Amino acid sequence: MSAQIPISTFKPYRGEKARLARAYDYLILVLALFLFIGSFHLHFALTVGDWDFWVDWKDRQWWPLVTPLIGITFPAAVQSVLWDKFRLPLGATLCVAALLIGTWVTRVFAYHYWNYFPINMVLPATMIPGALVLDTLLMLTNSLTITSIFGGAAFALLFYPTNWPIFGMFHQPVEVANSQLTIADLFGFQYIRTGMPEYLRIIERGTLRTYGQYATPLAAFCSALLCSLMYPLWWYIGKWFADTRYLKSI
Amino acid sequence: MKVLFKPWLLALLCLNVLSVLTVPTAQAHGEKALEPFIRMRTIQWYDVQWSTQKFNVNDEVSVSGKFHVAEDWPISVPKPEASFLNISTPGPVLIRTERYLNGKPWTNSVALEPGGDYEFKVVMKGRLPGRYHIHPFFNLKDAGQVMGPGVWLDIGGDPSDFSNTIKTINGEMIDMERFGFANGIFWHLFWGVLAAGWLLWWVRRPLFISRYRMLDAGLEQELITDRDKFIAKAVLAGVPVLVLALNAVTANRYPDAIPLQAGLDRILPLPAQVNAGTVNVDAIKAEYNVAQRAMLLQVSVDNRSQGAVRIGEFSSSNVHFMNAELADVGHMPGKDDVSNNGLSLDNNAPIAPGEQRTVTIEVRDAAWESEKLDGLIKDADSRVGGLLFLYDDVMGKRYISSISAAVIPKFN
Repeated sequence: MSAQIPISTFKPYRGEKARLARAYDYLILVLALFLFIGSFHLHFALTVGDWDFWVDWKDRQWWPLVTPLIGITFPAAVQSVLWDKFRLPLGATLCVAALLIGTWVTRVFAYHYWNYFPINMVLPATMIPGALVLDTLLMLTNSLTITSIFGGAAFALLFYPTNWPIFGMFHQPVEVANSQLTIADLFGFQYIRTGMPEYLRIIERGTLRTYGQYATPLAAFCSALLCSLMYPLWWYIGKWFADTRYLKSI
Repeated sequence: MKVLFKPWLLALLCLNVLSVLTVPTAQAHGEKALEPFIRMRTIQWYDVQWSTQKFNVNDEVSVSGKFHVAEDWPISVPKPEASFLNISTPGPVLIRTERYLNGKPWTNSVALEPGGDYEFKVVMKGRLPGRYHIHPFFNLKDAGQVMGPGVWLDIGGDPSDFSNTIKTINGEMIDMERFGFANGIFWHLFWGVLAAGWLLWWVRRPLFISRYRMLDAGLEQELITDRDKFIAKAVLAGVPVLVLALNAVTANRYPDAIPLQAGLDRILPLPAQVNAGTVNVDAIKAEYNVAQRAMLLQVSVDNRSQGAVRIGEFSSSNVHFMNAELADVGHMPGKDDVSNNGLSLDNNAPIAPGEQRTVTIEVRDAAWESEKLDGLIKDADSRVGGLLFLYDDVMGKRYISSISAAVIPKFN
């Protein structure tokens, strides 16, 4: 874009220039909001999918592993652009908020009004606390390495405790058909999903449970490690995506 | 202007044409799309009945019936080690309240045994008024959906009357339609307000062009103020503490919370109902005449029962081909397709006790084509399968055999 301006000669925009720059801000913000609502929501629905759709998929092993791992992708990419080019520490929060807006619109209109599911069966999870930590850590440290290691880890580790106040109550036991189910399991049994047989749920697979039945912390720490690696990967994807080298030749 | 006008006019005309065309509602569940050899030789449904087909919101309705798991299970279809008896509905217009397999209640998936016989019952409750085409069906892991016979259900009443209250093990009564909804909204709003506050804190000041220029000019320190840093530190320290505190409060509030349940139910088959050994039927040869839409089945019948038996019906993929000469075999409710004259024999005389006879059965009906069962001859696995029903008129007994044979196509 522009060549570097010496500090001594820098003049902030005033009057009409300032007004136009502000109008440009709002234009970009609105466009970015819709872009991230659409793209992040689509990305999330196609990758996290059922884990985020259904209350009876939110298990203690795969849900806290998969969701933050996919959830940190767009925040990392957008942070790299907004922080690198503008020193704006709001990329992660903006992305996660946009995702939640898209998710809520879908849950209400597609799942509830179109397909008749009660909304409490399809409540989305939230990653806002993790996003706030990611944004503030990047701002205070100005370090990709520290944000990757500690921010990525915090994003993953905070996910399950953030959502337990929303979903913990669905894990109360119920006696049904001579067996013990959670209320969430009962939702899956009662509210008929033609394309979602019980065996399709990917919950509690593998042998993480052998570690003294503490599945969630193990899954969360595994996710923390992977998020620490996923964060810089998507940071560089964002950086590559925001490249302006082609504009210069226009 | 003239050039621009033409595409608009064309688009308008197209919209007008589309508006007068009737768009029918999709009413099937893709059951005919599944390869015929899977529909014929996996789950073989029979005696499926609905308690009622017209009821109101909150009323109960049940579907019950039997199925045989074919011995000649296709090699290309994974064995039914995780199978889920489901109901095809356009969303939860009904809720499933109870389900039984061989009299035992079950909620998860189950391993079925090839050659096994099972009785099922699913109890449901009307939730949304309307007219719906509903099937019981099996989701077979890695194989797909095998539909049972479908019916039309009419649900009347007011959707606001629907209630679904259950009791937890701790004795709390909860309304499944609303449980946890207000709590979920509260926490989403709580974190949403915090996120909005953080975003507004930054958005209220000049953003992209101004900040880019300042950063470019080396004025980075002016873009992040001391107050920004103070707030960021408060968020960085406060949010994790708040999250962990709220998590601890919730954990204390629900100390008996359990993980989602993932076990497979275990239910053994019934004593043999099909291929029970009293009247044995072995398929020798099968020919399909494409032009006549007729399957010729040559079978060997070994009657070891105490009475004479006659072949009354061949049933495959929910199509019932009936022998019109047997008066007591008629249309049964809950059956998808019945061909009343679809079955004829080269020798209709009763097969006497102790007699062993080779019989040629002609199963002729357009249903072979309309139900897309004739696609069998073009499949890699072109074996026909189904249930053959034999009747002892005097003793009032019915014998069922699951038969299968490779099909030879005849094109003229």
